[in-house]
Amino acid sequence: MPRSPADSIWSRIGAFFRRGFAEDGDPEPPLELPWQQTWDWVPKRSAGPGFTRSDYREARERGAEVARATLGDDLWGQLLRDGYLEVPSGVCPGLTYRLRVGRRIEVRCADGMRSPWPYPYLCINPTYPLPDEEFFAQLYLYVRDRESEIIRTAAPQPWDQPLGRTFRSQASTRGRSR
Amino acid sequence: MGRIIVANRRGHQVVEWDVADTEASRLAIEEAERIIQDARARGCAISRKVDGRHVIDNAPFDPQVEEYQIIAPIAGG
Repeated sequence: MPRSPADSIWSRIGAFFRRGFAEDGDPEPPLELPWQQTWDWVPKRSAGPGFTRSDYREARERGAEVARATLGDDLWGQLLRDGYLEVPSGVCPGLTYRLRVGRRIEVRCADGMRSPWPYPYLCINPTYPLPDEEFFAQLYLYVRDRESEIIRTAAPQPWDQPLGRTFRSQASTRGRSR
Repeated sequence: MGRIIVANRRGHQVVEWDVADTEASRLAIEEAERIIQDARARGCAISRKVDGRHVIDNAPFDPQVEEYQIIAPIAGG
């Protein structure tokens, strides 16, 4: 993930203060309620300035824990095995949403069926930065339990690409495609 | 013990409460309810753990629920 020199400086300053807190026995950052802030200023695929490599790594690990707890062990195992989860539409019979971690939703239609969208990919992002895995689980819940929200929100796109408001560990930003 | 998983850029943070007849419990439950109401008012969805998996839920906050999760609002593009 490209970072500006200013980001790098803030990252080091942030890491210095975090180390200081850790030595005082208080490593847990204060509770962050992200819906109370605006995040438009944060660069795409970033958690914002001050996030170190280890912050990204920890966020991804914690995000994966929650994703597994959200989906349950069976679906989580299926995701690890297949690299995607599919959810049949409850609104359009024959239409299936294929979800992959950190990517746009792929719309798949049964033979002879015409998609309600002009393009096969739906771009949907969270309104604040989240680790890829964590948002994947949330998006799964939306598709399964609130399909109307997906239909209302989705931006159809002709090609696949990584989502803009989610991120993965800085050490593993390559090879996101599947 | 109940909890809210607050998904955020840190991965997640947890707000917990104990269903007991104490002042500390009452305050913790009030705080949890405030967080859920605030998140809903700002467009978040709320899920609740049912039989080992999460389901999006519109019901009012219930301190007896084992686990809630706050789901980010979504936007296209």
